[in-house]
Amino acid sequence: MATQNNVVQYGKAIQAQLQSIVSPIPVYAAFNRNFATEPKFIVWMLRNVHQPVFAGNLQGNKGIDTPTFQISIFTQKIEDGFTISNQILQSLHGYSGLFGGATHGFNISKADVFWLYNSYDNTEKMAQIFLDCTLYIPA
Amino acid sequence: MALINKVMPGYSATLWCQDEASPTPLTDAQLSTWTAQVANIIGTSAGGTGTGTTGYQIPVENIPPFGADDAFAAYAVAGARTGAKITTQNQVTSMTITAAWNPADPALLLIRGDGYSGTIIRTYVVAVYDGTNTVAYAFNARVGGMQWDMNTSAEGKFTFTLHPVGGNSYGWTTNT
Repeated sequence: MATQNNVVQYGKAIQAQLQSIVSPIPVYAAFNRNFATEPKFIVWMLRNVHQPVFAGNLQGNKGIDTPTFQISIFTQKIEDGFTISNQILQSLHGYSGLFGGATHGFNISKADVFWLYNSYDNTEKMAQIFLDCTLYIPA
Repeated sequence: MALINKVMPGYSATLWCQDEASPTPLTDAQLSTWTAQVANIIGTSAGGTGTGTTGYQIPVENIPPFGADDAFAAYAVAGARTGAKITTQNQVTSMTITAAWNPADPALLLIRGDGYSGTIIRTYVVAVYDGTNTVAYAFNARVGGMQWDMNTSAEGKFTFTLHPVGGNSYGWTTNT
């Protein structure tokens, strides 16, 4: 028996967890309107929320959720981006326990971080690093 | 606290063992006793009360299936359309475990020593932990079948098999 997890909680927990890792660097969901004036910031996007559904018409007959959120790190200096990425990797990769802090948190069995690539956007004059983080959430 | 009522990811399981070089394995009754027995072997990271001096976590890559082996007596009934089976209690399942080989890891060295001795019986515990509560499966076993695989295409692997001993030597416990 597994109920459908609430994605609002996911969002709040991701925001809170990232904020606690990289503080005082600002963390935004999906988009940062002030990108031109901030030398470094982080944006996250949640995707692939899916609990497998098993046989039968029992709606609660579901498995665990393994959602992924992408972390995009924007910095004016390339080294700052690597430093922030390292902070996130050290803190999050392989982590199990309370995710999202006391207010919004829930327990995860494992966080799995995958560094995708780093890049540079010449029009925005910002270096970028993209990480994927998959959560394994008992449900 | 209520018992875990969730579907658990495989990631939530951990393997623990007594840490003494010459351990006194838990008795059959103690294998089903959480407080001061099974809980002492499981570390706090999996909801137990153990410390580095009461139990080690074994750094396994994966917890293999555990439980009891299948067994039944099959017989045919004259005149009946089908035969029949009587389920019997078979032995506790052996667990073949793969760990990334770290020659300095104290738990792996302990297991290497057990395998070399061949006679040491140690209590092992599989703990499933959701962050709040723990369900534990404890059993007594000897170590056999140790192999080190240093294939160049991957990290070094240390594989060993835990062979349970005794007729009833396993127990289920929870922290609630």
